[in-house]
Amino acid sequence: MPLVNFTNREITCKLVYYGAGRCGKTTNLLYIHGRVPEQRRGNMVSLATQSDRTLFFDFLPLELGMISGFTTRFQLYTVPGQVYYNATRRLVLQGADGVVFVVDSQARRFDDNVESFQNLQENLLDQGVDIRSLPLVLQYNKQDLPPDLIFAPPDLDDAFNFRGVPSLPADALHGTGVFETLKTLSGLVLQRLAARPPGS
Amino acid sequence: MTLADGLGDITRIPGVRGALVVSRDDGLVVADALMEGVDGHAVAALAASLAARMRGVTTVLGQPEPVLLLLGGTEGMLLLAPGPSGLLLVAVAGSEVNVAELRLGVLAAAGTTF
Amino acid sequence: MRAIERWVEAPLQTFLAESAARVTLLMTSSGQVVAQHGFTRSLDVMSAAALGAGILASTAELARIMGARPLDAVVHQGSAVGVYLAGFETPRGRWLGLVVFGQETSLGLVQVFFARLVADLALAAPAAEPPRQVLAEDFEDELNSSLRTLFGR
Repeated sequence: MPLVNFTNREITCKLVYYGAGRCGKTTNLLYIHGRVPEQRRGNMVSLATQSDRTLFFDFLPLELGMISGFTTRFQLYTVPGQVYYNATRRLVLQGADGVVFVVDSQARRFDDNVESFQNLQENLLDQGVDIRSLPLVLQYNKQDLPPDLIFAPPDLDDAFNFRGVPSLPADALHGTGVFETLKTLSGLVLQRLAARPPGS
Repeated sequence: MTLADGLGDITRIPGVRGALVVSRDDGLVVADALMEGVDGHAVAALAASLAARMRGVTTVLGQPEPVLLLLGGTEGMLLLAPGPSGLLLVAVAGSEVNVAELRLGVLAAAGTTF
Repeated sequence: MRAIERWVEAPLQTFLAESAARVTLLMTSSGQVVAQHGFTRSLDVMSAAALGAGILASTAELARIMGARPLDAVVHQGSAVGVYLAGFETPRGRWLGLVVFGQETSLGLVQVFFARLVADLALAAPAAEPPRQVLAEDFEDELNSSLRTLFGR
């Protein structure tokens, strides 16, 4: 649940980017870090291996400014995608207010995506979170690759979007769809907060 | 005799509520022999802090470090003696204790002689 | 010092005065900041909170895997400063504390006064407030405007 302080009028939300290894989660955050003015973001924390693969998490705090009179901050996290790191994925997922599930659109990564999506659902279930009520956005990344190597968004919707959540095509390396993904998830998270006051 | 061995000798003195060996830098308990009701962790931390402050005072004054500190209260007292290897010997006693006996006991346990 | 809720201020102020800690951060178990002292930028506070929560979460998980009782506190000792991390229960749920201290104090003092802070917080916590409406119905316009500003569009 977002942390809301009525005295100081502040809202803090935790958004988690989830997905298989090398699907583009860290790339999303790196792009955001590169585009957002320094005074509106913190330094990006990246706990990574020597080969730049996320070991624990990446973390990027953003200050959105005032929304309905509340200073609104988002904390963006990524999880390590490799299968081996499920224990740390569970830890990072705790307390998430919204999730971006990043799909690697390459056909050869399809099974990895499926496994990761199932893993997300299992981990949320273990934490007592109903995935049907958690704000979720699907990002179909790497849509810039040659068409014969990837699945198109409608095909990926058939495979992953049985809930009918927002889904967006993206090319995180060049920024396409990154802002839109964050905007969409932010809206869902804050909509949920507006509809259901904290603590209820 | 180690400092820890010395705890037993100190606690045998009538009126002593407890004795501890404390790490001077961390203020953590290394060994203790305490009666119920004596908060060893608090005594250790505060005693190490006191010893560090006195060390600071004597350094500024150009004097050697004290071999014994006695903090007297209305209902008891605390004695501290620096020991070897960055350790501190601390005794907690009630007001009925024979102060001279306790002083000698603490200094002997700390391996210090006048 | 900056606290999200007023009732945290007095116990935290007492802790700061007695422990001589350089930096203190109280957060929820998911890393959201409740109160802090010693940071200059709120965005740096969030990073520290995320890292601290991550360390304690991974330590707790290690203990669980080893079949050990939960490890409630972790100490990192450097040559000039130390970091003390501990979890504790409050009437508001599980919180975490991160304390950075230097040679002007000691781990023992930090631990002793942190335990007192926990007790003081338990006494000071008021009854939980009933849920209140947070956002206006038209928050989306402001959200979109903020995000556009953020991304320079």
